[in-house]
Amino acid sequence: MIKIENLSVAFDGTEVVKKLSLTIADGEIVGVVGESGSGKSVTALTMMGLVSEEATITSGKIWYDDTLLLEAGKPRDKALYRSFQGSKMSMIFQEPMTSLNPTKRVGNQVEEMLKLHTTDLTAKQMKEKVLEAFLSVGLKDAERVYECYPHQLSGGMRQRVMIAMAIILHPGLVVADEPTTALDVSVQSQIIRLLRKINKEQKNSMLFITHDLNLAKRLCNRVVVMKDGNVVESGTVNEIFDHPKEEYTRKLIEAVPSREKKMQRFSMNVGDIQNANGQNMPLQRPDILEVKDLNVSYMDGSNSLFSSKKKKQVVTGATFTMKQGEILGLVGESGCGKTTLSKAILGMNKDVEGSIIHHSNQPQMIFQDPYSSLNPAKTIGWLLQEPLRAAGLRDKQFEMTKADREAAAFDMLHKVGLSDKYFYRKSSQLSGGQRQRISIAQALITRPGLVIADEPVSALDVTIQAQIMELMRKLQEEMKLSFLFISHDINVIYQMSDRIMVMKEGRIVEIGETQEIFDNPKEAYTKQLLAEV
Amino acid sequence: MKKVFGRLKQNKYLLAGVIMTGIAVLLALVSIFWTPYSTTAMSAAEKFDAPSFRHLFGTDNFGRDIFSRVMKGMGTTILISTLVVLLAGAAGILIGALTGYFGGIVDEIVMRITDAINGFPSILLALVVITLMGSGRQNLIISLAIVFTPSFVRIVRSEFIRLRDADYILRARLMGVGKLRILFVHILPNIFSTFWVSVMIGFNNAILAESGMSYLGIGVQPPDATLGMMLSDAQGYLTTAPWYALAPGLSIVWLVLGFSLLSEGIRRQA
Repeated sequence: MIKIENLSVAFDGTEVVKKLSLTIADGEIVGVVGESGSGKSVTALTMMGLVSEEATITSGKIWYDDTLLLEAGKPRDKALYRSFQGSKMSMIFQEPMTSLNPTKRVGNQVEEMLKLHTTDLTAKQMKEKVLEAFLSVGLKDAERVYECYPHQLSGGMRQRVMIAMAIILHPGLVVADEPTTALDVSVQSQIIRLLRKINKEQKNSMLFITHDLNLAKRLCNRVVVMKDGNVVESGTVNEIFDHPKEEYTRKLIEAVPSREKKMQRFSMNVGDIQNANGQNMPLQRPDILEVKDLNVSYMDGSNSLFSSKKKKQVVTGATFTMKQGEILGLVGESGCGKTTLSKAILGMNKDVEGSIIHHSNQPQMIFQDPYSSLNPAKTIGWLLQEPLRAAGLRDKQFEMTKADREAAAFDMLHKVGLSDKYFYRKSSQLSGGQRQRISIAQALITRPGLVIADEPVSALDVTIQAQIMELMRKLQEEMKLSFLFISHDINVIYQMSDRIMVMKEGRIVEIGETQEIFDNPKEAYTKQLLAEV
Repeated sequence: MKKVFGRLKQNKYLLAGVIMTGIAVLLALVSIFWTPYSTTAMSAAEKFDAPSFRHLFGTDNFGRDIFSRVMKGMGTTILISTLVVLLAGAAGILIGALTGYFGGIVDEIVMRITDAINGFPSILLALVVITLMGSGRQNLIISLAIVFTPSFVRIVRSEFIRLRDADYILRARLMGVGKLRILFVHILPNIFSTFWVSVMIGFNNAILAESGMSYLGIGVQPPDATLGMMLSDAQGYLTTAPWYALAPGLSIVWLVLGFSLLSEGIRRQA
């Protein structure tokens, strides 16, 4: 069906894809997994003829059935590609918001595909075909969706529209580049099921690109593991996941958080009294945070002078306590109020009712995006010292000499596993994982009792993710920290947390010991969340 | 040093800009200590001499050496424009930072005032200020600075609004960093590249505005030489002594073009 031979793609003389060979048989779903920078997207874009003009194909050929689509050294045949794009091969992108034109009704956008590639359809037939496609991707209210603009649809619905657009002409090959990464977990599962169903019904081949090994395992027949532009290993799902041959594949699989691999839990039991049977007695630790009947709302339209201000309630009646030295996992879908709740605890949201009692100093926060949480104008050393300087400026009693501050910064740098040389660098010279380490160091240098970590590993590659989780565990034990650990990934939460708190639509649905929640969830919503993975 | 030359070689905008402004600034600096002839020495015998090796740009209606006067005039123009941009830039940073970061009702009021200032042609507005305060070099600088402040306020404000909710600023707040420190130590360095470009553009506009004001006779007063005033003096002799007008005119073009190229070069470098 599709055959890629010996493909190399270079940007500015650096090869990002190196001698890659890949075949996709009829009706087969092939997964390409790899961490960022492994060349998986460039491969797909090159195949689709969408790679930017700056890329040069230094070697190889791409075949679609018996047609030679691309050959190294020859200019891209744009006309040939255009006759293939959309009708014989199509693509689903990661970000459903930006891949649809916000100024056009989605129905018309899908219809565009028909207008471009068919000649014999009347307007009415076209609309019927679009509605049919909408139904087949599970958009039940097809007539209404047809008339909608992208912003009127949810992320999952937009992605379904994208899929409808990709499959409406029944192409032989569908390339899906991280189609579920921007979606919530429950929606993610639905989309995966949908892709499977389409594959069965339409019998088209799929190339599924993802960084998430779990998804590849669930969807694909065969998997190709890529690293630094090379194919590390390829084989059937069973071969790769059950008997990985290469060291790198093994590392990748091990790094994926899962139920089987709950991290060795050390600190929680430190100081606990064990009874005669060796079981832990109930925790006798002081509370570090008490939240009671907390309502949080924010003002809508408060940035404008004249519009009336509307109050929007985001968190309703939150009540919970955190013990010292505990990791409390907070899980829920986007928009459920996780972040709002955490900002209220930090004191950054003034519109609160109810009480928040801290039994420690100011809590600190670690953000999701490692690229925006460090000031790009400053060196790492400066950033690490700043919390200490700020404390000194605020209160004379915390004032430190320059030498003491530097020593503390170096010490913290070592604690997060980075060497002295990073002290003088700026954050732009660091990788995502290193930046997240610095973020953690900066949050911990003032020794706060409580740290709120808002999706701290979601933006990282799996192997880095595992390292950062390990680091947070280690520091938590060493420094006797309490973490409020927010994540949408129930497996990450399982690995990290002592207790779990489930939120839905601004309310805390369920709270309890991790094992307890996983073994017998009481609420329907929790059950649903657990079933998705 | 090698690195600098490497960059100049690659970035032709920067190279042209550096050379053109370099020559202009050098001439202006030299003119402080030395000019080929005195800028005020008149000579009835040498009225309207065409450009020659003796008088590079020729002489004017009083027989003064135009090259010397252009040198001096360029110095005056560059000095005034620099001071205007410095003053307006500093005011822009202060007002823009406070309004952008804190927002609210003060922000609304300040923004409406800047809208109002922007609504008038800059020369007209400067004229009003001059009439109120009287003419002279100092008042010219102040009035132009007032006219130029709003554009800086806008740019600084929008950058502060963009950055005030950045994750790293939220974190700085959590760490208990004081408000002023956040404004000027944490945010300010990050807006530098954007601000620098607007300073360059502002500088060009200031050169044009100063020349325009002097041309209208409300800027620097004679016998001090400025490019705009020379242009206005030369007006009557456009047909008989075209070099008299060409010299200051082309100098203004040279300065503005040089700075445009320089700022474009810097922008591309960033």
